[in-house]
Amino acid sequence: MTPTTMVSPVAVALTVLGLGLGLAAIAPPVAAQPRSVDGAAVFSPVTWERLVNAADEPHNWLMYNGTLDSQRFSRLDQIDTSNVGQLELKWAHHIPQLDRAETTPLVVDGVMFITESPSNVVAVDAVTGRPFWRYDHPLPDDLRVCCGRNNRGVSILGEMLYMSTLDAHVVAIDGRSGSLVWSRQVADYRSGYSKTAAPLIVKDQVVTGIAGGEYGIRGFLDSYDAKTGERLWRTHTIPGPDHPDNRSWAGDSWRTGGSPTWITGSYDPELNLVYWGTGNPGPDWNGDVRQGDNLYADSVLALDGDTGEMSWYFQFTPHDVHDWDAIQVPVLADIELDGETRKAMLWANRNGFYYTLDRETGEFLLGKPFAKQTWAEGLDENGRPIRRPDTSPSQEGTLVSPMAGGATNWWSPAFSPRTGLMYVNAFDGEALFFSREQEYNEGDNFTGGGTETPLPIEHYHSAIRAIDPTTGDITWEFPITPRSRAGVLATAGDLVFSASVDGYFYALDAGTGAPLWHISLGGPVHAQPMTYAVGGQQFVSMTVGNTLYTFGLDGER
Amino acid sequence: MPTTGNNVFTPWATVALLTALLGAAPTLSSAQDAENPYTSRIDVRTGRRLFQAQCSTCHGLNAAGGNESTGPDLTTGRFRHADSDAGLFRVIRDGVRSTSMLGLGADADDQSVWQLVTYLRSLDVTAGGTPTGSAAAGRQLFAGKGACTSCHMVHGQGKRLGPDLSQVGDRRALGDLQTDLVQPDTEVSPRWWTMKASGPGGQIVEGLRMDEDTFTFRIMDSDEQLRAFSKYGDWTYERLQRSTMPSYAETLTEDERNDLAAYLFSLRSEP
Ligand code: HEC
Ligand code: HEC
Repeated sequence: MTPTTMVSPVAVALTVLGLGLGLAAIAPPVAAQPRSVDGAAVFSPVTWERLVNAADEPHNWLMYNGTLDSQRFSRLDQIDTSNVGQLELKWAHHIPQLDRAETTPLVVDGVMFITESPSNVVAVDAVTGRPFWRYDHPLPDDLRVCCGRNNRGVSILGEMLYMSTLDAHVVAIDGRSGSLVWSRQVADYRSGYSKTAAPLIVKDQVVTGIAGGEYGIRGFLDSYDAKTGERLWRTHTIPGPDHPDNRSWAGDSWRTGGSPTWITGSYDPELNLVYWGTGNPGPDWNGDVRQGDNLYADSVLALDGDTGEMSWYFQFTPHDVHDWDAIQVPVLADIELDGETRKAMLWANRNGFYYTLDRETGEFLLGKPFAKQTWAEGLDENGRPIRRPDTSPSQEGTLVSPMAGGATNWWSPAFSPRTGLMYVNAFDGEALFFSREQEYNEGDNFTGGGTETPLPIEHYHSAIRAIDPTTGDITWEFPITPRSRAGVLATAGDLVFSASVDGYFYALDAGTGAPLWHISLGGPVHAQPMTYAVGGQQFVSMTVGNTLYTFGLDGER
Repeated sequence: MPTTGNNVFTPWATVALLTALLGAAPTLSSAQDAENPYTSRIDVRTGRRLFQAQCSTCHGLNAAGGNESTGPDLTTGRFRHADSDAGLFRVIRDGVRSTSMLGLGADADDQSVWQLVTYLRSLDVTAGGTPTGSAAAGRQLFAGKGACTSCHMVHGQGKRLGPDLSQVGDRRALGDLQTDLVQPDTEVSPRWWTMKASGPGGQIVEGLRMDEDTFTFRIMDSDEQLRAFSKYGDWTYERLQRSTMPSYAETLTEDERNDLAAYLFSLRSEP
C-alpha cells in the first residue's frame, strides 16, 4: 500500500479557502470525503511488468481476477476482522441500463473503470464515484444472447482498455478519454457468437474468448495485437478434422459443438502458459447427436503464451449432457502436497467436483465432490468421472444434481495464501433434464432440450464453502438463503467478501466462516466484490442490482 | 411459490430453454393419430413460447382471446373443431377451413404441434372435472362448521393465517382443491412453512414464514403479529416444512368437502 498520509477535512477546507475567499463564501467547503489526491495527476501507464507484479500494488485492481494467478486475493489489510463491522457506504454508481450487472471494475491509480450493460464502460474517480468519461458501444437490435445483456469487465495495457462486446467485437478504448481506438469483429454475432468476458493481457497480446454455447457455435480462444488489433492466433476449442481428437465428435457434430470460452483465464509467466476453461458441448441436453467425449468441451486448456498452441488439456466432464460448462476461473497456487510444493491449479467445477491439478502437466492430483451430485460414483485415478447409469436427459425428464446452473458457475472463487483455503460459491440443487430433437439453424438457439427445477428454490441448500486444496475437504461453510450468484474476494485482513441474490453484501472470517458484517442493498447480485485503496484508504466495491456500491472505514484511523 | 417478499429471484429460472423450431424438416409420421408424447412441464413452457410467438396476435398472449384479437378464447377447455388431443393437433397443423386460422402447415414438425396442444390443455382449469357439490352449501360451511375463516380470508372476511382464497378458483383445479382438504401437507409453499424461534429465557415464538434470507427472517405469529428476527443474534430457529392446516378427511364428510370444493372453485377473478 502507498504510505500516503491522509489530509484531514480541515486541510481540505484550507485548500479551498486558498483558492479564493469569494468562492469559499458562496460554496462553503463540504469535506465529507477525506482524500489526499485532490488535483493529483492520476493513472500512470500499466506496463506488462506491472501486470505481472500486480499483487505488489494492492491499492490497484489491475485485471478482472486481480492478478494473473486469479487468486482474487488482495494484500490490503486496513479492513480486517476487528473493524469490518464499521464499514460504511462511501459512494454509489448507478448503471443506467437495467440488466444483469456482472462487472468487476478495475482501479488504476485512483481511476475506476466499470463496465455496464449492455457493452458500455465508464471511468470514475475511485474516491467519489463521479465520472470522467463514458463509452457507449453501439449495438444492433438482433443480438443472440442466451443469458442477459451483460459485460464482466475490461482489461488494461499501457493506457488502453480492452473490452468484449455483445456483437462479438473486441474494442480498444483510450483510458484517459474514452475514445474508441480500434474495433475488431471476432465472429459474426448473427451466427450466435457474442462476447461478455474481460480479455486477459498476456505480454503485448489481448487474449479473449467467445460465448454462444447455446447457439451451435464452434468455440475458440483468440489473441490480438494490443496495438493494432491484428489477430495473432486462434485456437479452436474443438479440433478440426485433421486432428485425431476430432473423432471425439460423431459425424459433423463438431461443427456446431459449442465449447465456448466465456470467462477470463489465467497466466503463469514462468511456464508461459495461458489457462482457459471451456463451456458445454452443444446441443446442451441432447448428446445422442454428438456421441463421443466431445473434446475439448468442459475442459481446461493450457496454451503456449506466444502461439496459442496447446500444451495440455484436462476434460472435467466428457460427453456432457447437463450444460456443466467448465467456465470457472483457473486459480493458480503453489501448495504443499505430500511434503512437496506443487505448482497447482485449483478448480471447483460446475459438475459438482473439486479438482487439484498440476498446472505444468495437467496431471490430476486429487478431487472430490464439494456439492451435491448424483451423476457420478466418483473420479477415477485420472480424474475421469465414473458415470452412473440413467442420468442422461430424457423425454420424460431425468432428475440429476447439480442443476444445469451447476454446483457453482462462472462466479469467481478466491484463494487466500494466508489460510491456504479456496472459497467457492456452491449450490446443492437438482433439476429435471429433458432431451428433445432439434435441427440446427444458424443463429438460432440450439439446446436440444430444457431443464426445470422440480421444487421451489427454498428446498435447496446454498453456501460459501472453504475448500482445502490439499485434500479437497470442506473446512467450513457459510449457509446462504436462498442462493447466490456472486463471486468471492479474499483479503489479507483475513476476510472473505461475497453477496447473495437477495441483495446482501457481507464479510466472513476467512479462517472460520463466521459472519462479521453484512448490509442489505436490496437488489439481486450477479457480480463479484473487489478492493482497492486511494490515498491510504482501503475501499471495497460490490455491484448489487444495477448499482455499484463502495464501502470503507470512517476516515479517522 | 412465495406470495410475498423474495421477489428478487425466479425460482424456476434455468440457464436456457428449449426453443423448438417451427417449420423444421417435415416429419413423416402418423403422429396425429397417436397420443401426445410431449406432455411434461417443459413442453408446456415451450408450447407457451411457441404460442406467444406464432399465435398470440390473434388469440391473445394468454390464449384468452380479447378485444383486439380475432381468434377465439382457447382457455375454456371446449373446442368447436376438436374433441381430442389428436383433433387439436389437426386444427393447429391444418387450420380451420375458410377462416383466418391457417394452421402451421404440413411442414410443421410434430413435436412443436404437440407442445402447442400441451400448452392449450394446460390452460384448462376445468380439466379436473366440474363440481358435483353445492357452492352455496360450501359457502355456509366455509364460515360455519368448517371454520375455514379462522385462517383464510375471502374478500376481506376472515384471518390471515392461510392463503387468501378470494380467487383460488383461478389457480387450483377441482381435483387439487379436493386434495387440499384432505392432504394439506402435499406441496406446501415455503411461504406457509413455520419458523420456530427460541430466544433468551426459554421464549418460543412460532409463526408462518413470510420471508427468509441469509441473515434474517420474518413471520406472522398466531395473533397475526408481524415479527422480524436476526439469524445471528440471541435467537435460534427451526424451519418446519409442513402445513398448519388440519386434514378434513375425518372431520368433514365427503359431501361437505365436495360442497366446499364447489364453493372454492367458484371463487374467481372478475372475467
Ligand atoms: C390470423 C389469426 C390467427 C392465428 C395467427 C392463429 N389463429 Fe387459431 N384461430 C383463428 C380463428 C379466427 C379461429 C376460429 C376459426 C373458426 O371460425 O372456427 C381460430 C381457431 C383456432 C382453434 C380452434 C378453436 C375451436 O374452438 O375449435 C385452435 C385450437 C387454434 N385456433 C389454435 C391456434 C394456434 C395454436 C395458433 C398458432 C400456431 C393459432 N391458432 C394461430 C385465428 C388465428
Ligand atoms: C389452521 C389454519 C387453517 C385452517 C383452519 C384451514 N386452513 Fe386451509 N390452509 C392453511 C394454510 C397455512 C395453507 C397453505 C399451506 C398448504 O397448502 O397447506 C392452506 C391452504 C389451503 C388451500 C390451498 C390454497 C392455495 O392457494 O393453494 C385451500 C384450498 C384451503 N386451504 C382450504 C381450506 C378450507 C376449505 C378450510 C376449512 C375447511 C381450511 N382451508 C382451513 C391454513 C388453514
